[in-house]
Amino acid sequence: MEGSNMNDMSQFDQGVAVDTIKMQSRGVNVFYGDTHAIKDVDVDIADKTVTAFIGPSGCGKSTFLRVLNRMNDTIDICRVTGKTTLEGEDIYDPKVDPVQLRAKVGMVFQKPNPFPKSIFDNVAYGPRIHGLSQNKSDLEDIVEKSLRRAALWDEVKDRLQAPGTGLSGGQQQRLCIARAVATSPEVLLMDEPCSALDPIATAQVEELIDELRTQYSVVIVTHSMQQAARVSQKTAFFHLGNLVEFDETDTIFTNPSDPRTESYITGRIG
Amino acid sequence: MPNSEHIVSSFDRDLEGIQAKIMRLGGLVEEAITKSVQALESRDLDLAKTVRRADKAIDELEEQVNVDAARIIALRQPIASDLRTVLTVFRVSANLERIGDYAKNIAKRSQSVIELETVPGTAASLKRMARQVELMLKDVLDAYIQHDADLAEDVRQRDLEVDQMYSALFREYLTHMMEDPRHITACMHLHFMAKNIERMGDHVTSVAEQVIYLVTGVMPDDDRPKEDKTPYVHEA
Ligand SMILES: Nc1ncnc2c1ncn2[C@@H]1O[C@H](COP(=O)(O)OP(=O)(O)OP(=O)(O)O)[C@@H](O)[C@H]1O
Ligand SMILES: [Mg+2]
Repeated sequence: MEGSNMNDMSQFDQGVAVDTIKMQSRGVNVFYGDTHAIKDVDVDIADKTVTAFIGPSGCGKSTFLRVLNRMNDTIDICRVTGKTTLEGEDIYDPKVDPVQLRAKVGMVFQKPNPFPKSIFDNVAYGPRIHGLSQNKSDLEDIVEKSLRRAALWDEVKDRLQAPGTGLSGGQQQRLCIARAVATSPEVLLMDEPCSALDPIATAQVEELIDELRTQYSVVIVTHSMQQAARVSQKTAFFHLGNLVEFDETDTIFTNPSDPRTESYITGRIG
Repeated sequence: MPNSEHIVSSFDRDLEGIQAKIMRLGGLVEEAITKSVQALESRDLDLAKTVRRADKAIDELEEQVNVDAARIIALRQPIASDLRTVLTVFRVSANLERIGDYAKNIAKRSQSVIELETVPGTAASLKRMARQVELMLKDVLDAYIQHDADLAEDVRQRDLEVDQMYSALFREYLTHMMEDPRHITACMHLHFMAKNIERMGDHVTSVAEQVIYLVTGVMPDDDRPKEDKTPYVHEA
């Protein structure tokens, strides 16, 4: 399977030769103690493109997403091997500061995790530590813009000093999106960003993703096939830790080559 | 493509319901072809009328298939092979409905021809041509239901024979008309009927191409003349 998978990728490389590669993984394995969660995965994340990761629960989507900004470093039993680069530079090189890396490769987590601070400070946190604003009104601008992009501004503009943890689940998720976009990351990793959102907020986030794509790379994990089809240009299907198929989203959703992909996306048994 | 069942079994039931209707539609259309040329051969005006009336049932069934398929799109958002199944349903039912229209047309012209003096031998050769298309239709419906792309390709190739039969009939009618100008009216009708059968063959071919698309995800190469220039959703 890995073999044909490489074939698919070389075809895909030829097909879209104009795409520049933002991030690249080669031979990546991830272990949690004895659990082999990611098995020899090769992926190219194209610049200015939305890449969707799909696959059944537990197949390793979140794990692989965390490889891309070294979030797995924070898990003691987790071991990552293989090579992953951001614009050609090895992100696992000892010289790389993970905090700086995560400003460039931002992340929205599967579960909303606002800091126990005000709504304003949640969004202002990143720009502050990375010194992205000159003064107070600069910072206010960034916060407002980020909250607007996350489709949350209208709901919170009158209570920016209220605690972020006091928001509803869906509002907290959008707050985390605002926080992630506030630092203008080059790559934005989103782990099921819409799972707690209503259809309107979902549409707003999808619109945001489409807008971000003009400048950044976005990688989104989603359990909604329709969402993957709507927002992404490339889709990767993971199964039991393997990258089974990686192709143009059009191809994956009209004529996937692997029967496992087909069964999964059409909701079939086996 | 996987033949396994959907986890949501009502989806499978919806799809089976639609396929059953397509098969019924196919059956009605086969019957219409047989009866329309039968009416001509046995100079049976009542049979010709029956065929014309029966076309309404074909139209209604096609409409039902379209409603069902639109409902599946709205409620189930089919993708991959499921999407191809639904797209194919739309096109195949439209092709079958058009074949039904041609059969109705043949029945209508039969009524006129029956009133005229017989042109010897012509009904039999027309019937042979119709028989050929009918067999192709039967095979393509089998190919459709069994997801048999090879059989569909075979049907597609056989359309050439229909085209050749049409050319032969065309020359035959021309000869009759030149030999005896009193046969001109009948032969004009007969020629249109032959043309109708030739067009049926094109629609059967189009169904065969849909079957190939359904099974492989790719439309067959355009290596034979086709009337249908509709751009297809899947582009390689
Ligand atoms: N912190 C952890 N410690 C131990 N095992 C883990 C940890 N995180 C993930 N795993 C294991 O790694 C495998 C992949 O998990 P991961 O969370 O990446 O799956 P996923 O595809 O994101 O699933 P879901 O769709 O349910 O979010 C699973 O077998 C999981 O049990
Ligand atoms: Mg996950």
